Amino acid sequence: MYAQASNERLTKWLMGAILVVAYAFLYMPIVHILFASLSSRPNFPYPPEFDYGSYIRLYTNTVYQDAFLNSLIIATCTSILSTVLGFLATVGVLRFGGRNALLYAAFFAGPLFVSEILLGISSMSLYYLVFELQGNMVTAIIANSVHCFSFCFLIMAALLYRYDWRMNEAAVVCGASPARAFYEVMLPLTWSGILGSLIVAFVLSLNGLDISFYLLGATPTMPSVAWGALRYGVKPELYALSSIINILVFAAIAVLYLVARSDRKQQVE
Amino acid sequence: MSEAENRLNRRLFLHIPTVFLVIFFVLPLIALVVLSFWQTENYKIVREWTAMNYVTLATEPAYFIFFIRSLFMAIFVSVFSVVVSWPIAFFIVRYGGRYKLILSLLLAVPFLSGEVLRLIALQGMLGPTGLVNGVLLKLGAAPLRFIMYSNSATFIALVYLYLPMVVTTVYLSLLNFDFRLASAASACGANRFRIFSEIVWPLNLSGTIVGFLLCFIPTLSAALAPRFLGGPNGVLYGMSIAQQFGESGTWALGAAMGVVLFLFSMLVLGVFSLGIDLRRTGFTGMGRQ
Repeated sequence: MYAQASNERLTKWLMGAILVVAYAFLYMPIVHILFASLSSRPNFPYPPEFDYGSYIRLYTNTVYQDAFLNSLIIATCTSILSTVLGFLATVGVLRFGGRNALLYAAFFAGPLFVSEILLGISSMSLYYLVFELQGNMVTAIIANSVHCFSFCFLIMAALLYRYDWRMNEAAVVCGASPARAFYEVMLPLTWSGILGSLIVAFVLSLNGLDISFYLLGATPTMPSVAWGALRYGVKPELYALSSIINILVFAAIAVLYLVARSDRKQQVE
Repeated sequence: MSEAENRLNRRLFLHIPTVFLVIFFVLPLIALVVLSFWQTENYKIVREWTAMNYVTLATEPAYFIFFIRSLFMAIFVSVFSVVVSWPIAFFIVRYGGRYKLILSLLLAVPFLSGEVLRLIALQGMLGPTGLVNGVLLKLGAAPLRFIMYSNSATFIALVYLYLPMVVTTVYLSLLNFDFRLASAASACGANRFRIFSEIVWPLNLSGTIVGFLLCFIPTLSAALAPRFLGGPNGVLYGMSIAQQFGESGTWALGAAMGVVLFLFSMLVLGVFSLGIDLRRTGFTGMGRQ
């Protein structure tokens, strides 16, 4: 009995050690480039110093500004479009799916299993080569939405499956219109899932290269400019850009965490 | 709810996303197939039906080598990620306690920051002037050659890119797993190995397979990581596709390569999905309805 208990403790510590190593592996590059972006010696920035030169060069570089604006437009439109579609799909599968619910769920998760490069080149084939359309923001937004749609669908499905649909019906029985039932009953109870889906889709499409790359032609986006700059070697400006995005993503995840935690508290109450 | 209303709602909620996917997801894939049976000459499309592209793919050994290299890379990366994911996910679910949510969300930060930015960060670690070799040089040791511009660098990069995805999937599966089943088996006298091999593993197999596939399929078509980190002998299949659509302008050949990649992915997906019960993946949370 004693041997088994110590054995179990050993397994626990071993798993904990793997977890620590994995998180270190995932975060060390991010922290390293944060230091590198703040240093005048980006290759070996230890001990850390605080030099904002690379951030100022990034700020004054107009190429990055245009690209960032384009990426922002794509990400905003993509997150809204894919969240709306994902919400429809989630409600459809969970409430109206009936016997075919799993079939629909598998189809809606399908884009997840087709790699981004295939999505990019196949959409490009359709628009450019078959219809001979010039690449524009709309096609890029749509192609990004296909990819993000699956993520939105899964996030909202995972958070909505506990939702009690009888609440909507109760509201309608009490005389509310379906739209009012949605705004006053459903939205307050499910907004954490919707917010999570908006954030994930926004960040995914902000940073994705493959899909936008094949659909935009010469229009620069943030990842494509970063990719282009990479060919001429990594510069501290890229480290600075990377660090800014990482901090933004971190902030978005922190918001998600706070929302999820307050949600859980509400449930307990 | 009346029957007619129900049908209207079904149409609204299920058919709009379905139509969207058919037009913008299925139709492009069909266009890719069509394009693969055409030809490109001097950066122009020639709309004549021919199977030349597939003949080129079958007879040119380079493409076969790229494909096999990608296949092995994808298998190694996915198996390694699954093996590492299990202890991490298990630890978070069993011992994470109130930090479960933080630990699982922390996985999302590296995942969401995008492929290009993560590759830039990795280059800062692995490159000739990166942190690892910088530390080694400071210590007076020789730099590690195998992490610069080689297939092992690509391996590390792909694990870095897709490990968060696999851990999250296995984590969600274990989170929805009822650990009282394991306690019950223990009470009935099963040892820990048997509990794992007969209860925990089989009941989470579906989630694990989904995680494996979500790593396998993108790594099979990886284009950016090998291009940036793979070096001269590191050309992978996805990278070759990207070149057909980029520099060389042989779109039709690239489309044929894409079709081959798609069919192979579907084959793998089909074979593995025999082992998947979506209700048990924990990914959709549908098992608890």
